[in-house]
Amino acid sequence: MKVYSSDPSTESGGRVKVGIADYAVATGDARVVTSGLGSCVGVALYDPDAGIVGLAHAMLPEYDGSGDEAKYVDTVVPALVDEMRAKGADSTRMVAKLAGGSEMFEFTDDRGSIGRRNVEAARTELAALGIEIEREDVGGDHGRSLELHADTGALQVRSANQGETTL
Amino acid sequence: MKLDVKSLRTFSRLAHTGAERAAGSLSTMTGIETYVDVTKVELSSREAVATRFEEEDLVSVKIGFEGGLEGTTVLAFPRDGAADLVETLMPGAGADPEGDLAVSSLKEVGNIMIGGFVDGWADYLETTIDISTPTYVDVDGHEPLTDVDHGTEDQVLVFRNQLDSANDAANFYLYMVPTAPSLDTIVSASEGDDPVPLETFTSFSSMIAEGAEQASEDISMMTAIPTEVDVSRLSFVPVEGVPMAVEDDPRTGVVLEFEGTPSGYIAILFDEESAESVAAALLPGSDGEAGAEMHQSAIQEIGNIITSGFLDGWADTLDTTIEISTPTYVDDLGPAIIDPLVTDLAQSQEFAFLIDSTIRTENDEFTCDIYALPNEQELRQALEQLAPA
Repeated sequence: MKVYSSDPSTESGGRVKVGIADYAVATGDARVVTSGLGSCVGVALYDPDAGIVGLAHAMLPEYDGSGDEAKYVDTVVPALVDEMRAKGADSTRMVAKLAGGSEMFEFTDDRGSIGRRNVEAARTELAALGIEIEREDVGGDHGRSLELHADTGALQVRSANQGETTL
Repeated sequence: MKLDVKSLRTFSRLAHTGAERAAGSLSTMTGIETYVDVTKVELSSREAVATRFEEEDLVSVKIGFEGGLEGTTVLAFPRDGAADLVETLMPGAGADPEGDLAVSSLKEVGNIMIGGFVDGWADYLETTIDISTPTYVDVDGHEPLTDVDHGTEDQVLVFRNQLDSANDAANFYLYMVPTAPSLDTIVSASEGDDPVPLETFTSFSSMIAEGAEQASEDISMMTAIPTEVDVSRLSFVPVEGVPMAVEDDPRTGVVLEFEGTPSGYIAILFDEESAESVAAALLPGSDGEAGAEMHQSAIQEIGNIITSGFLDGWADTLDTTIEISTPTYVDDLGPAIIDPLVTDLAQSQEFAFLIDSTIRTENDEFTCDIYALPNEQELRQALEQLAPA
């Protein structure tokens, strides 16, 4: 179940919100935003020739056989690529940017840092699809909010205490 | 009446799907892209619902439904949001938000959205549901959700959908309160197992309220500022919806783990001004000159006290031991703080029981939000302790 909408949104202008366990594709001068990334990872894709961007906000690294595919890195990344291709993007031209996957707390949980595992899963998945990771801002112990610009593929990363960077 | 986790999941999905249809109807009508932020199944007292409407200054459109399912739905808007929405639909009408034109526009929005909302429920239950003519309800002097037949129950099960629009123009709620017999109908349809009597959830809800009261007393004693519990709620939310239940603003506070039956996470969060006020109350005479370290340790200390107050009663009532970890100081965006907690739970559960309480002072010196996220399976075990013999 996606939090924001049943179908991945596609917008050609304005502001498109991506919820947690959600993704969206946009074109034109639209901006795709998502907030509250802690251990979650944000995967931004851009096909400069087609002027199409996509942004996914995934919670966990691997699909466990049930639930919404948008929640997991290894299922949402191919779904996002498919959605972008359906709009005219070509995966051989796509570049990726990653943000999020922080390790904010040390829990007694022995399954390892989810933040780190999310980032690793994203790298693995993108490598399998032959998509190069151009820039990334991952890890650390702080949260992030993202804004992806459809016209330039620029990914603005904001945090409460670490200021803002553009990838 | 009995409830089980499977029914709660069904409720949550139905309410979410219904709310998406409602949002879709509004998008079509206004051209403003509308989203469903969070869908919560909440157990709440009638009084708490009425209080929220008053405090948030909500104006609403109430529509009854009957047929295969009976009850009330309320579409509630913050006063300004209602005026903006009306203005979008009918330019000029928003200038007089109490006027006939504005009121009838809002009623029409209600009609269309609620129609979309109940359709999904009717499909699922393979029945027909008819909706009544909308009534406009201003918050002053009304209690819009309290006239639903729940027998003698003070507690009502509320489906609360928080909707938002792409341009932030409209942020509003869609409530649905089915009657007690209708709840039974839905529970039966979902064919769940291990049902828990509603009284058990009510007992649990009371236990949370008592914990919040204790935490409020302790915080008052420590800061010498009288406080009271503003909200105390138990809700059932899809895991991915939990961080969005927290405002997307900076928050300072602590995060702790608790171990026992149930185990889980707790976050005690203050907005920046509240954190300053609390630290100042704990460090008298410092005039805000205290270093960051002092400030941090004051917040950690109060986090500890609040957590103990909040959870000690649970251990007694549930006849168990609950151990609390050392508090970790946090200073970040609210949803980003909650995200790792809920992500950890998401590895083994799709839905979360979210407990949220707000403690505030009379004169707005500070507000403290408490979020507790118990492990779902362990909470179910704990609930068995509360089940009436």
